[in-house]
Amino acid sequence: MVGRPLDESELIRRAQRGDTHAYEELVYAYQGIAFRTAYVIARNAADAEEAAQDGFVKAWRALGRFREGAPFRPWLLRIVANEASNRRRSAGRRASLALRAAAEEPSGGAAPSPEAAVLSAEQRATLLAAVETLPDEQRDVVALRYFLGLSEAEVAETLAIPQGTVKSRTARALERLRESYD
Amino acid sequence: MTELERALVALGNEVEFPVARDAWPHVEPRLRRRRLWPGVVVVAAVLAVGIAFAVPPARSAILRFFHIGSVSVEQVQTLPPAQTRPFSTGLGPKRSQPTVQLPAGLTVTAYYARPGLHAALLRYRGQQVLYAELRGDQMGVAKKFVGPTTHIDEVKIGEFGMYLSGAPHVLIWDQGNVRTRLAGNVLIWLDRGVTRRLEGPLDQAQMVALAREITR
Repeated sequence: MVGRPLDESELIRRAQRGDTHAYEELVYAYQGIAFRTAYVIARNAADAEEAAQDGFVKAWRALGRFREGAPFRPWLLRIVANEASNRRRSAGRRASLALRAAAEEPSGGAAPSPEAAVLSAEQRATLLAAVETLPDEQRDVVALRYFLGLSEAEVAETLAIPQGTVKSRTARALERLRESYD
Repeated sequence: MTELERALVALGNEVEFPVARDAWPHVEPRLRRRRLWPGVVVVAAVLAVGIAFAVPPARSAILRFFHIGSVSVEQVQTLPPAQTRPFSTGLGPKRSQPTVQLPAGLTVTAYYARPGLHAALLRYRGQQVLYAELRGDQMGVAKKFVGPTTHIDEVKIGEFGMYLSGAPHVLIWDQGNVRTRLAGNVLIWLDRGVTRRLEGPLDQAQMVALAREITR
């Protein structure tokens, strides 16, 4: 008999009872977004990897405090983001976000996606450079919100700031970016 | 969503993120190691106490030495000299503005702050309680000497917690003209990268309830 996949709340309940197999599934489900979140904050792949791993370990230890029914992803990302911020403060060299090579030089045969077609290669490079010049607090919000696709509420939870602050930082960032984009 | 926002979403699809290794092989061994830790501590402490009593020259030795966040704890046979002093000892002058965020229902009588340490004096269940947040990068904001009769219990709160009770222990802050005093029941726990500390005449359940209220 093949068992049905466990839903997230069941995995969390099992992990809270000490089931590492259930937690393993949660780690696999969220390791991508956890690493990317850590990377946009720490801007160093090794630090981001470490922050994500430490975040998963700390989240495991804190599972007892996780409220049943609450969204797990922002709760986890908050722990990871905190780890990444600590590393950003102490880190030296930080990498800039880069565009995929394929995006810079689209192959002749492949049709660009509708979304990619919105921007030319030059516009993409200009816009990304403009994002990179934003103050850290605005850039974090923009990267989490638009690059990683977190909701406003998730960004607020992840960065441990009020949702109103996410709105105001987003507005200020968009105002500055509009100058580069228009 | 505006055109600029759509452009940012499109741009996000083209951003290149480094490839991360699978996290689980690096996470899983640490889950098991940590779960074993409290048991290991108890066994190590018991063994150390046993050895210290069995071997006379070892009686004044450190029985156990460990850290929890910014606090280092030494379990020793004989406590260094110290006396009972106010909770505010070593915390610097009172601050007029809040230095720590606390739930609205708690009665705060004083705030303190100095580098690496923010604190508040509270009234809780009719008792005076000191709450402190220690933000030192590593260890060393506070040091504790505990005697062999001090109970050290693991507490399930935050990332890791311990409750010290049973006999006064010696607390030494890293700064201040008068830094040393005797301390009573204490809960220390790690929560989102901050070492938090509660001290006062509360039992473990009351202390944990207050801690949960503070970090909720």
